[in-house]
Amino acid sequence: MAILIYSLIFIKDRQAQLNDQLITMNGLNGTNLVAISLGEITAVVSEIKKIELVANQANAIRFAEIIDQLDQQFTLLPMRFGSIVDTLDTVSQMLKTNYQGFIKNLVEVENKVEFGLKIYCDPEKLKEELRLKSESESEILDDSNTEHSVSVYRVYVNKKLKAHRLEQKLLSYIEGVTAEFSEIIGQWDAKSKIKKMVTSAKVVDAVFLINRAGKVDLVRSIEGLQAKYPRLSFVLTGPWPPYNFVDVTLK
Amino acid sequence: MENNKILCNTGTVDLSIQDITGEIERIEKAADSKLSLTPENADSSIAKLVLTLVELIRKLVEKQAMRRVDGGLLTEDEIERLGETLMKLELKMEELKKYFNLTDRDLNINLGPLGDLM
Repeated sequence: MAILIYSLIFIKDRQAQLNDQLITMNGLNGTNLVAISLGEITAVVSEIKKIELVANQANAIRFAEIIDQLDQQFTLLPMRFGSIVDTLDTVSQMLKTNYQGFIKNLVEVENKVEFGLKIYCDPEKLKEELRLKSESESEILDDSNTEHSVSVYRVYVNKKLKAHRLEQKLLSYIEGVTAEFSEIIGQWDAKSKIKKMVTSAKVVDAVFLINRAGKVDLVRSIEGLQAKYPRLSFVLTGPWPPYNFVDVTLK
Repeated sequence: MENNKILCNTGTVDLSIQDITGEIERIEKAADSKLSLTPENADSSIAKLVLTLVELIRKLVEKQAMRRVDGGLLTEDEIERLGETLMKLELKMEELKKYFNLTDRDLNINLGPLGDLM
């Protein structure tokens, strides 16, 4: 039998509340959830046979559900699926050895939740729209009158230049959307990680950490941004445990 | 888990298809972009790797060149010679791809979370 760790909770003086909640919950494979505490941190764990911890979708979702359920009531650090140690003593030892690191992370995510925003586009349609929207064709490059009078090499450069300018316009458009999005989450002093142009269709992939109370305003703001950019598709998800904002190297 | 984690999805792009298709393409590309060297395919595998790097450099050069043209930093003569060079490079790459039976898709490397090389 091994011990599976689900999350580390910033328990403070709410141990009784956690105990009450754990009674109503089950771990993977219906096992009991157990609290291992040290100071202000409590690890939520369950026993598991290593052979039973199959890395499949059902188990991964169930594992995430347990963490999510706890996250709705407590500030926590989610553990990676498959975080197994041999004994309960090892869990206690881990809490002791890494206590300051855990506390530092827990303070940073206290009362905050993670949201994700993905912005998609149809790149060809968007490029075409941007080209049409240009104040004049000359902004991209008008070579229609000159192609007959210049060399094949100059025509080649013009063609490449057109594509380059369109690409630049697309990048600048995405920069504009990202700047507005950053301004929106800036009002919550959010921590964020934003990737741009992940693929030609997924133009923004962002995760950010804001106060729990900000959810309603956030949804309204993103819907406003969507209305402003109808050619883009916004998918906002959350609230999630702070999966992308935990930085602990276990000693 | 809360039943609905999607708080806002009001766009016009078919996201479920878009996302799933994107993921599948990425996985396929990742599988295709692996270099599987065996005694039988050593030549073509090395050619694929070398041509991928050459194509990356060619595209970087082309991008930088277009920046310079766009910035008005080159004379007409220089643009002319640049066009000739870039065009010949592209044609040469097409020849090499054809020779080694490679497509544009072959000349890419999936860098996992960072996306594709090109």
